[in-house]
Amino acid sequence: MTAPLLAARGLEYVYPGGVVALRGLELNIERGQKLAILGSNGSGKTTLLLHLNGTCQPTGGEIRLDGQPARYDHRALNQWRRRVGLVLQEPDDQLFAATVGQDVSFGPLNLGLSEPETGERVREALEALRIAHLAERATHALSFGQKKRVAIAGVLAMRPEILVLDEPTAGLDPHGVTHLLGALQQLHEAGTTLVFSTHDVELAYAWADRVALFHEGTVLCQGGTAAVLGDREALHRARLRPPLLLEVAEALGAGRDQSCPAPRSREAVLTLLQERLGEPASAVSVEPAVAHSRRGPSE
Amino acid sequence: MRAIDHHAWTNRWRDWHPAEKLLPAGSLLILTLMLPPLTTAPLVLTGMMVATVRGAGVPLQTLLSVLAAPAAFLLAGIPFLAVSVDFAEGVNLHLSAEGLRLALTTTLRALAAMSCLAFLILTTPLTDWIAPLRRIGVPAGVVELILLIYRLIFVFFERALTGHQAQTARLGYSRVDRSVRSLGLLAGNLFQRALAQARRLEIGLMARGYTGELRVLAPKHVLSRTRLAAGLGLVGLVGATSGLLARGLS
Repeated sequence: MTAPLLAARGLEYVYPGGVVALRGLELNIERGQKLAILGSNGSGKTTLLLHLNGTCQPTGGEIRLDGQPARYDHRALNQWRRRVGLVLQEPDDQLFAATVGQDVSFGPLNLGLSEPETGERVREALEALRIAHLAERATHALSFGQKKRVAIAGVLAMRPEILVLDEPTAGLDPHGVTHLLGALQQLHEAGTTLVFSTHDVELAYAWADRVALFHEGTVLCQGGTAAVLGDREALHRARLRPPLLLEVAEALGAGRDQSCPAPRSREAVLTLLQERLGEPASAVSVEPAVAHSRRGPSE
Repeated sequence: MRAIDHHAWTNRWRDWHPAEKLLPAGSLLILTLMLPPLTTAPLVLTGMMVATVRGAGVPLQTLLSVLAAPAAFLLAGIPFLAVSVDFAEGVNLHLSAEGLRLALTTTLRALAAMSCLAFLILTTPLTDWIAPLRRIGVPAGVVELILLIYRLIFVFFERALTGHQAQTARLGYSRVDRSVRSLGLLAGNLFQRALAQARRLEIGLMARGYTGELRVLAPKHVLSRTRLAAGLGLVGLVGATSGLLARGLS
């Protein structure tokens, strides 16, 4: 069995001042996954993410890259951050340049790319997030959702193997969420491993393929989305509730065994509901899935 | 401030090479300071205002509001220039012709000079000055500081504004003493946030390979010789007209 791309082994972190943020945490990130780190507010998710690119050095345990213990010297950190891109929750913490294009060019230039190559990377990253039209705009004149996408583009332009996002959908309206998830889905299909933290069980249910349930500095359980989110007892311990879609699907008799897996999109649950009610498909109007569509719109 | 920034980013001459704006405006500024103000200053003032409003399409009101602050200082200074005090026999105030002339020339000269600067700040966003600053050898640290301050001004302006609104909503400014207290709390809060923001910004930048240098792609501007020649032609015209007028007046 090959070693996971990125893993935490017995990770412990105590803040200066004695607050314990992580206690003996185990986490595996495999290549090509969409992993949701699911936990309630203030459970230490951000601290965990800061360990994934070497910003925080654990006070106990270790991070492993390709099975090798991570090192924290200057060169190793640079190499690490080339591979693992981190997007902070608050875009204003990340955007520093005056125009969008300039800000996105910062990372590629730090990789030592030439100006023409950098220009190409900037264009590519902006297009991937569908914000090419903002390239010449002033950073401070953007809306929150736009800033968020620029912040992601800035990391994306470095072409990381793993993209780590802290609460990527927080503060976005449903349209913004759909838009963002569509762009992330494309990255995923292009081979980028995605890790994101969230407290939104519906989002994790609809969109992640693996879930790590995080509570009080440890991962309670990690596994396939359906398995983890079907574990009511673990969810309760993490102070979360099962996703509504799963509960409805289960109430309709789906998801009890392998032959009939629980549907994960709004449309699929509504279709199931119509089947059970025995009404023609047109009787219940199917809204276009806005918030948590599994695939983004094909714009 | 927001209005200035908005127009700097959106005016019709936004995409011009900064040199095409700096050379004429800078030359006119120098002419204003060197040539006799009575003939030069009105020409420069008119020229720059027309260029800003008609040429670049910045609303006259915005331009006037930019000029208003220094103009207020100038007005306040006029009496001190025009009136002279004589202590020979008690205290006497004189309003001399010479003093009036001095006040008038100083005011005109300062206003004209201000109009050159107003033209520059209203037509060219700060980012366009970054590359020229680097080229003329301003240390990278200073340039980066300018860049960061410019970016963070807006972040903190926003925070200050929402903080003020939140305080107002809870009657923080309903009385003078409360206002003083609220303002103090707001300032302290902003200071703390600034420190926290700086720490988080560093985390964000380090995640993108920050190693102590904030390098970004410089905006590309094509220098148009025609526009540059037209600008310098205007300078020549102002200089020549001013010279002719001065000869005619004397």
